[in-house]
Amino acid sequence: MDLVDLIEEKRFLGQEFLTWLWFKSEERGGSINLPDSGDIQVIFEQHMLLEYGEGESHEKVICQGQQAELKEAKTGLAMGKKLEQARIRLARDNHEWRLSLSGALMQFRSVRVPKTMSPGEEEGDEAAREGLILDRIGLLEMATRTVDELFRLYLSIRLNPEWTAERDRISHWIAKR
Amino acid sequence: MGLLTASANFVRYNVIGELPPDFWNFAADRLAAHAFRDIDDTFDEQSVGWVAVDNMFDSRFAGTSFAVADYLVLSLRIDERKVPPAVLKKFCLKEEDRLKTERQIPRLSRHQKTEIKENVRLSLIKRSVPLASVYDLCWNLSENTLLFFSTNQKAQELLETFFKETFDLRLMLQIPFLTATKFLSPEEQERLDALQPEIFI
Repeated sequence: MDLVDLIEEKRFLGQEFLTWLWFKSEERGGSINLPDSGDIQVIFEQHMLLEYGEGESHEKVICQGQQAELKEAKTGLAMGKKLEQARIRLARDNHEWRLSLSGALMQFRSVRVPKTMSPGEEEGDEAAREGLILDRIGLLEMATRTVDELFRLYLSIRLNPEWTAERDRISHWIAKR
Repeated sequence: MGLLTASANFVRYNVIGELPPDFWNFAADRLAAHAFRDIDDTFDEQSVGWVAVDNMFDSRFAGTSFAVADYLVLSLRIDERKVPPAVLKKFCLKEEDRLKTERQIPRLSRHQKTEIKENVRLSLIKRSVPLASVYDLCWNLSENTLLFFSTNQKAQELLETFFKETFDLRLMLQIPFLTATKFLSPEEQERLDALQPEIFI
């Protein structure tokens, strides 16, 4: 199967992961336990994009604003809409990232990394330039690794028998809104 | 929205294929051959090439290096001359009108109109200033993964083609299904292949 077909056929996987992640984050008040890393913070902020329909009838809905608007997003889920993008705050090891994660393609958008070097610090030479670039790459890769760890946790549940109970909990959480 | 800006947009790729031995010399040769070439003083429509990540005018990596520890860090620069559709339409109509008057004919054939459009487009392109787009990338050589700092599909397609042309290595966009593959046992992979969307209502 070529990539275009694969994207279309499997776009639900990333969207379902985002829905699960939102549920998981609310289940324990924003804290998720990663098997290898322990507890991290995953907070869904007030900006979400849902989509529904296919082909020509495909439409997108943005839900943003106060907590009340997230209820609108949950109502969308109850009506069968898919969560396609969410603004998320991630915190671990005393660092905090803000990013928008898209579901179908797992794109990272508007990623803001923690500040570790103040502007003007280490200016000038090539070694300082390298330091700045490596610091930045390290922080971005830590964000992608964290998302991968969350995705791996989701897959370990989704592809195994415990999914039935997890699915019921998600359905209950959506219905409760 | 790049590697060094306050807010970044990016997608992830896997690099497919073996890195050649003596990679850094190989990379230096290939980058020199595919460095960005300026078209400000020519009439070329498009130019694509590599530049330094923190200076779009440095295509020889004179002051800085593309090698940062175990990462290759670069920017893809694309300069393009474009004619806005409304401008093209206006000048086509003007030329059509001129020809009809000159030849004393009521209308032009489809073939003539197509020819006029192409000629007008070329003459306008020569008069337009190239616009530059710059997209950063960061290649993790130990994991053979790459971050590309654009979510624009056209930019991604250009990267995939130009990266292959430069390094003879293919890029594979990491969508969730492909990312999942690296975490799964063969049994789980089979279950993922057959997986259907869940209904939560």
